[in-house]
Amino acid sequence: MTAISSTGIGLRGPHLAAIVAAPPAVGFLEVHPENYMGGGPALGALERLRCERPISLHGVGLSLGGTDGIDQGHLERLAALVERLEPALVSEHLSWSIVEGVYLNDLLPLPYTEEALDLLAAHIDQAQTRLRRQILVENPSSYLSYRHSTIEEPAFLAALAARTGCGLLCDINNIHVSGCNLGFNGEAYLAALPAGAIGEFHLAGHSINDVDGQKILIDDHGSEVVAPVWALYRAALRRFGPRPTLIEWDSHLPALPVLLGEAAKADAAIREETGNARAA
Amino acid sequence: MLALRDLQLAIGHTVLGHDEASLADAIAEGGIAPASRLQIYRHHYEISLTEALKAIYPVICRLVDERFFGYAAHEYIKAHPPRRPCLHEYGESFADFLASFPPCRTLAYLADVARLEWRINASLHAPSELPLAAGAFRNVAMGDYPRLVFRLLPSLGYLESPWPIGRIWSGREQVVDLGQGGCRLEIRQRGEEVVFARLDGPEFVLRQAILAGERLESATAAALAVDPLFDLAMALRRLLGEELVTGFSLASDDSQTSF
Repeated sequence: MTAISSTGIGLRGPHLAAIVAAPPAVGFLEVHPENYMGGGPALGALERLRCERPISLHGVGLSLGGTDGIDQGHLERLAALVERLEPALVSEHLSWSIVEGVYLNDLLPLPYTEEALDLLAAHIDQAQTRLRRQILVENPSSYLSYRHSTIEEPAFLAALAARTGCGLLCDINNIHVSGCNLGFNGEAYLAALPAGAIGEFHLAGHSINDVDGQKILIDDHGSEVVAPVWALYRAALRRFGPRPTLIEWDSHLPALPVLLGEAAKADAAIREETGNARAA
Repeated sequence: MLALRDLQLAIGHTVLGHDEASLADAIAEGGIAPASRLQIYRHHYEISLTEALKAIYPVICRLVDERFFGYAAHEYIKAHPPRRPCLHEYGESFADFLASFPPCRTLAYLADVARLEWRINASLHAPSELPLAAGAFRNVAMGDYPRLVFRLLPSLGYLESPWPIGRIWSGREQVVDLGQGGCRLEIRQRGEEVVFARLDGPEFVLRQAILAGERLESATAAALAVDPLFDLAMALRRLLGEELVTGFSLASDDSQTSF
């Protein structure tokens, strides 16, 4: 396992050949482990890349908040990849995706209740025990909230971190998206997160849509990071200090230099806000 | 207040396209109706799975055009929701679905082209293994050859079709003569890519039988049934030369010895 410094990018299929041919000067590469479960040339390339750059595994399939329970088979496949790739970071989401065995291919929102907290804590324990390491849990982008939620989202995350020892992946774009959609203040959200638990930042673009005549932000990872998200990122850097930061870009994938340009902007923000060229 | 299980069941049904009245009271409105908020998730489910199918079946999409593909994908997703979170494993039964999809009735070759695309996708995500060196059988006595059981590349697959699906797949020809007959294909990883090759009848039968775990003796018998003049020595040389064999064992009635 290697410590991460500075900013990383998501490694996506269309960029793989270019990155293998000339590994760019980024701090780390992040992938969805689900794309590498099985094997094949892409996994081989990732194994070679990890000799030069730390790898981060950002899972989307554990369904930590699912009442079906953790799919043991999926957890075993993740554990095998973790063992093989020795990633610097392993992360998952504060969400659920599977019910009655059907994978809904989304990071669906949870109500923030004591019942959900108990379930999440048990599943995070189960994952960390099997993987024999800490995982980071990411705040979701939400398009709805539940009337019966009794805990604010950052307090819910803080409680999970305190109960399980998990870290938190603070997705700045998700805070902005959910804040706009559900009506909360991003800086107040940051202020309620436990600084010591933050293990990574995510930055991404989103789209703006119209639903019932109202503006809804959709977290589609399909464009450049916008100014309000950069501003919130800078606020997070001032509050938490430098952390490994990822530029996520999954749809309408740009040419690699555009992605690297976004990473350079994040590096500049780290330097300017923390006086530190390297993330912790 | 809905218990978490009931809430997830209701949201699951909604994402899969069924309305759930119980959710109206559970979701905060904030200027946007709960049904409209849920529609965002339902839309994402449908679009993202359609994209996943398109990534695995680009040739089917080209052959039927994008709009029709979207319609077929919509019907498929409705009938076969994913059961696993690895999207490259979603859509295995799409070929069977197309074979019985009434609007595709006149495109008899379509299902087999889809089977080829699935096989290519499966090969791409299969574990990579190193092939055995050419001299690996040096210590096997000739008399033991009938008991040989080969382990082949995990990415290897065989597909037989009455249609020229390799030519259709390649897209190099404006018009493919469907009357030119079928093909027998071998699909495998080679280096960083997946390739397929056409095989003749006996070699196809031999390799398919070996892949199925049959002893060399019975695999050879199957090939000889197709062509009594089948040259086994040449076929074995090619099997090794093409780097398809990753291991072998000797079968006996009650045990196998692995090498």
